[in-house]
Amino acid sequence: MPIGDMLFRSVDDSQINGVFPNTFNEYKKWDKEKDVLPPEEVYKALFEELAYGEKIQIGRALTRMNYSKSGWKSLIKTTSRQIKKAVKKDELPNNYKEFLISANEKWADPTFWYAMGQMVNNTTPIYYWNALDRTYDQDQNVVMQDEKRRIYIKTWIKTLKISVYVTIFCLILGFPVAHLLANLPLRYSNLLMIFVLLPFWTSLLVRTTAWIVMLQQNGVINGILVWLGILSDDGRLQLVYNETGTLIAMTQILLPFMILPLYSVMRVIPKSHMRAAQNLGAKPATAFWRVYLPQTIPGMSAGGLLVFVLAIGYFITPELVGGKDGKLIGHWIAYHLKTTLNWGLCAALGAILLGVMLIFYWLYNKIVGIDNIKLG
Amino acid sequence: MSKFLKAFLFVSLVFAPFAASAVTVASWGGAYTESQQKAYADTYSDPGSIVFENYNGGLGEVRAQVESGNVTWDLVDVLPSDAITGCDEGLFEDISSEIASMGVPGPDGESIAEDMEANGLNYHSGWDCCVPQIFWTYVVFYDPDAFPGEKPDSMADFFDVEKFPGKRGIHTWADGIIQKALVADGVAPNAVPTVFANQTGAIDRAFEVMDKIKDHVVFWSAGSQPLELVKSGEVVMAVAYNGRVGAANLAEGENFEYIWEGQVLDQEYLCLTTGSPNREAALDFMMHASSPESQAEQAKYITYGPMRASGIPIIEANEPWGPGGVDIMPHMPNTPERLKVSIVNDPQWWSDNGAEISERYSAWMGN
Repeated sequence: MPIGDMLFRSVDDSQINGVFPNTFNEYKKWDKEKDVLPPEEVYKALFEELAYGEKIQIGRALTRMNYSKSGWKSLIKTTSRQIKKAVKKDELPNNYKEFLISANEKWADPTFWYAMGQMVNNTTPIYYWNALDRTYDQDQNVVMQDEKRRIYIKTWIKTLKISVYVTIFCLILGFPVAHLLANLPLRYSNLLMIFVLLPFWTSLLVRTTAWIVMLQQNGVINGILVWLGILSDDGRLQLVYNETGTLIAMTQILLPFMILPLYSVMRVIPKSHMRAAQNLGAKPATAFWRVYLPQTIPGMSAGGLLVFVLAIGYFITPELVGGKDGKLIGHWIAYHLKTTLNWGLCAALGAILLGVMLIFYWLYNKIVGIDNIKLG
Repeated sequence: MSKFLKAFLFVSLVFAPFAASAVTVASWGGAYTESQQKAYADTYSDPGSIVFENYNGGLGEVRAQVESGNVTWDLVDVLPSDAITGCDEGLFEDISSEIASMGVPGPDGESIAEDMEANGLNYHSGWDCCVPQIFWTYVVFYDPDAFPGEKPDSMADFFDVEKFPGKRGIHTWADGIIQKALVADGVAPNAVPTVFANQTGAIDRAFEVMDKIKDHVVFWSAGSQPLELVKSGEVVMAVAYNGRVGAANLAEGENFEYIWEGQVLDQEYLCLTTGSPNREAALDFMMHASSPESQAEQAKYITYGPMRASGIPIIEANEPWGPGGVDIMPHMPNTPERLKVSIVNDPQWWSDNGAEISERYSAWMGN
């Protein structure tokens, strides 16, 4: 249900069409080749719908209109005030076009009218195009967004890149740890397990802040490196407030999600398999590669998918340690959800995220097989 | 049914109406909400009837509550652009007549609106649904020990890395920094909002100024970070919320200096949610919270300035106003002299242009 609602919202534009039905109907008849500005009927319909429409519905429509072009909000608000005044005094204009343009000269600016073209249908793909740095030109052709505003494609790539890296790093770091845990006698491994779980139970924010303390230029790691003479005092590394910091912190935070499934799979692999392989003449490396590793694949896949899925939606940690590189796609979803109230764009971003996951899931199913996943 | 269970049910039936009648106020949490608790709720005629709940800002939750008809927040503490959008969308109730008739007047009979205008604010539709709270500002601060010689004292200095070498701490969103960039470029602080609203290319101009320091910036995203950045020496100057700097100076014994020039004053409003379950009680509390006395009281606990201009003389006349006998006026952002060199944000312009500028700012950071 919620997913259905999200997919529906990502293409739905019916609210505003309920507020300005006549304006949009007349708008569709406007021949942009012939006339620079829309015909009188459009202005008249807009005047009437603003004059007699429900204030709250118009308010919601304004929020939506502002996504298509900045400035709609105050344009409609100042115009509405003039219209209300005129209606109150019972002075309906003879020429609606002149009236609106004198109320606010932006009504003579065709770019606002072109932007209106984005919302005249009940369903619209515009949110998806926006989520990919594209927008409509005056004739509703899809074009690239203004160069200075292109951020989403970059953010998508950055998000995917970081998620993939974090997954790989977690695998590289988690595999030996899980192997150790699975092969030590129980009383040692239980103790070690606590070291894995302790950070897992610690608050996310605490761990993130701890990383800032560790990594900053006057922090612990740089301090030690300078003290050891490896770095000079002015050559301190920039380890945090950039991508490096994001990768380090996210890897540490997500590591348990890799170790735990790996551990539970490795624990049930009989030790006799390795011995048998070596008995039959395999070198230790070959035995590991051909006998042990294939049996851990279900654990690796479970851990890998878990880490990847969590990483792709992460936003608090990157935002705190990432500095200018810290805005992943999750940040923008939260931003549009709370600040701009552009739930359509939110839903589109979410739907694309869902699509990306499904693609990875499908790829995974092709390569490894979905039955081959085990949490223990 | 056991006796205990019966008794419990009875008690909960009897007391449930009382429990439900508490006015729930959604606010930002931390030291800020604590100051609201002390200055507004504890001084209220019935302190127990006010309950604060934390949220992270934005109108997402409010819209969800109003749309679903399940309103649990009576009052919401919001930024001015959200006050406008919420009022336009009907998420907040239009109570302009109640504010006019019930608002607590200042010592010379100033109304709430007159008091706000005296602080350099202009009417916007948020005023119809909300009462004023505090001024908070984006202010530049530094540790004087970091500058043994000449000390920076203007926005031009902040954007000049040759005169004052070292990194700068800036936040990861545009509001509060692009205005300072224009001041550094010679625009009079008071004129900045009109320049942005009326001059094409003003935004480009601001970004060009910011390009000059871009390679010398550490970006922060949480309010506590700029203080850590300056304290640890990671940056020499940073933009921060003035309340954080004030707290560091007053409570933690730091000695940070402010550069008041080019500070960007932004505001907080308390708004009544449409369909609030305790409308009357909430309204009454709103009027109490927006009285000049309550607002002056709040300055004792956090160094944000009262939006009621008539709150300032109360503080001035009663110094030392702060706890432990410290003067508060040195930390108040909206004294008449400081207002002369400040930018008072135009929330209507931000609610028109915020999304576009925020995308642009991100693109700028990423390049």
